[in-house]
Amino acid sequence: MILVCGGLADTVTELVCARLQNCGYPYRFLDLGTYPKGFKIKWSWQGPIPNGYIAGPDWKVDLNELTGVYARYLGPEGRLPPPDTPTSAAPAIYNEYDTGLITLMEDLPCVVINRIAGGLSNNSKLFQALLVRQSGLRTPPTLVTNDAEAVVRFYHKHHENIIYKSLSGVRSIVRRLSPDQLDRLPLLCHCPTQFQACIPGINVRVHTVGDELFAVRVHSDVVDYRYAHAEGSDVTMEPVSVPPSVANSCLQLSHQLGLLLSGIDLKETPEGDYYCFEINPSPGFLYYEKYSGQPISLAVAELLHNGMHSSGLCSKRNSHTQAAMEPNTTKVNY
Amino acid sequence: MYLILSDSEDQCSFRVRGALEASGFRSVTIANPMIDPARFRWHLDSEVCRSEVEFPQQPPISLDDIGGVLVRSHGWLDPHGWESGDLAYVQAEMQAAMLAWMWSLHCPVINRYPPGIWYRPQIPLLCWQKLLVNCGLQTSEILITNVEQETLALREHLNSKGVVGAFYGPLTSHGGYLVTDEKEWCGLANLQNVAPVCLAEPHGEATLVCVVGERILWRGVPSRDMTRLEPNLNRFAVEAGLDFVELALAPADDSIRVVAVEPQPHFEWFDTSAQQQIVDGLVHLLTTGKESGFC
Repeated sequence: MILVCGGLADTVTELVCARLQNCGYPYRFLDLGTYPKGFKIKWSWQGPIPNGYIAGPDWKVDLNELTGVYARYLGPEGRLPPPDTPTSAAPAIYNEYDTGLITLMEDLPCVVINRIAGGLSNNSKLFQALLVRQSGLRTPPTLVTNDAEAVVRFYHKHHENIIYKSLSGVRSIVRRLSPDQLDRLPLLCHCPTQFQACIPGINVRVHTVGDELFAVRVHSDVVDYRYAHAEGSDVTMEPVSVPPSVANSCLQLSHQLGLLLSGIDLKETPEGDYYCFEINPSPGFLYYEKYSGQPISLAVAELLHNGMHSSGLCSKRNSHTQAAMEPNTTKVNY
Repeated sequence: MYLILSDSEDQCSFRVRGALEASGFRSVTIANPMIDPARFRWHLDSEVCRSEVEFPQQPPISLDDIGGVLVRSHGWLDPHGWESGDLAYVQAEMQAAMLAWMWSLHCPVINRYPPGIWYRPQIPLLCWQKLLVNCGLQTSEILITNVEQETLALREHLNSKGVVGAFYGPLTSHGGYLVTDEKEWCGLANLQNVAPVCLAEPHGEATLVCVVGERILWRGVPSRDMTRLEPNLNRFAVEAGLDFVELALAPADDSIRVVAVEPQPHFEWFDTSAQQQIVDGLVHLLTTGKESGFC
């Protein structure tokens, strides 16, 4: 049995449920929008592995029946307010709800996509950059500073072509530093900020699912392609095979962080180098699956159903993964 | 040069700095080296990892000049003058930068917290359960439930062992209390209508212990059963990646259980003799510890 924890309004969670349904893999849905209302839980620890159950309106699952758990946590929006509680207390109560679930997921012996511990590295892109340096992927020239003069020197060194973005898990739009912003740099003294040299090339998004890998080239003429439509621009995608060393580095990073599913942002330069910007532990892969046709959700469904060491994986996708791991690979056609 | 990241009121930092300077080592105490008046610069790419901190009217301190770092603050920021949204953003950025910088340094850093601890300073005991058990340390049985019958079953189970009541403690705060009489059990049942509750078997009086590298320092006199666990405590600290960690041990159900783990030890809770040994242990780790880190 598979447990999906998420919000009904979250399209990625919806896709996972639809794929499980489509595959005929039984699953139960724990709606984090209403949880714990409508659910009965009992989890007990007498050793390292928890025992107990989760019961919904018309179902009950023993924890030891679970082959896989998919969890995508919600923010405060879209959640049912706790009963008889002032609004101001709601975030603390949501935190208590989530902490219980997170703790359970950490200790379940089955596949969990994803446990939180590895994912917390995403709260520091710089911490991830240190891991990236060790993985063999390249790290862009980066300056983290609260010193305006250091930024100006960095700006000129990189031919007035640098970007700035958040270095924490707070989502920010990547922007190019423009000359008219230089006058505001003294404000940096209150907070260290991340600047990076602009890396020329094409964005490549890699999703790892267990030991499988899906890579896609993203063509866009804006700095942050996630916001291309908002800036009146278009995005196109094509599935690709990345060189084996890059594929291995991506899988190594995901494994190192304990992530069974990850979204890794790369840039492929004209010289064939691969720079890595971020490893996302809760990727919105629907966007990429929709554009590229890559069967990411199918891989997720199979991993949840079969576990890490199953032999029931789709042969077509296996051949793609295999291709990515072999030397001298070329673009894979879907 | 030794760097002590701490506010000015932390006794542990104050004593460590004094001991370092008494031994002829230079040191700097600062709550946050990444904001005004300090100037922080960190260049990082595939080949370079170079950082420096500059204080007013002083030459910059480069990464290579730092012999060791004691971390008693996660990058404190004066909230005065900030709007709450901006403050939350700045704190997130600060913590992100500080965590990574700690891992970039190759000198001894006490503690070089993994992200899972750095971002969850009040990590519930339950999260340590697996590691504790793997290190041969026991914890009490813990139950999380929103089902009243399950709570009653636990109550009866404990009663059958002669244990009166259960300990209720939220997962996200250090509070908690013993649930014993009927009124308290009813209150707990009401609470279960809002959120699942976390219950544990009550324990006897707790004894604090601090692991500093290979040293084990107790508050007061531990029982023989507790001192027998010292190798396990050392193993736990190593596995957790913490050179400096506090635990609380207590008797429960005929054995010794870990009832708390604190990655940021409460120095002031230990007696004078133990405090001195903690300081000696920290200075030893800072000045002779192994180099590591990612750069």
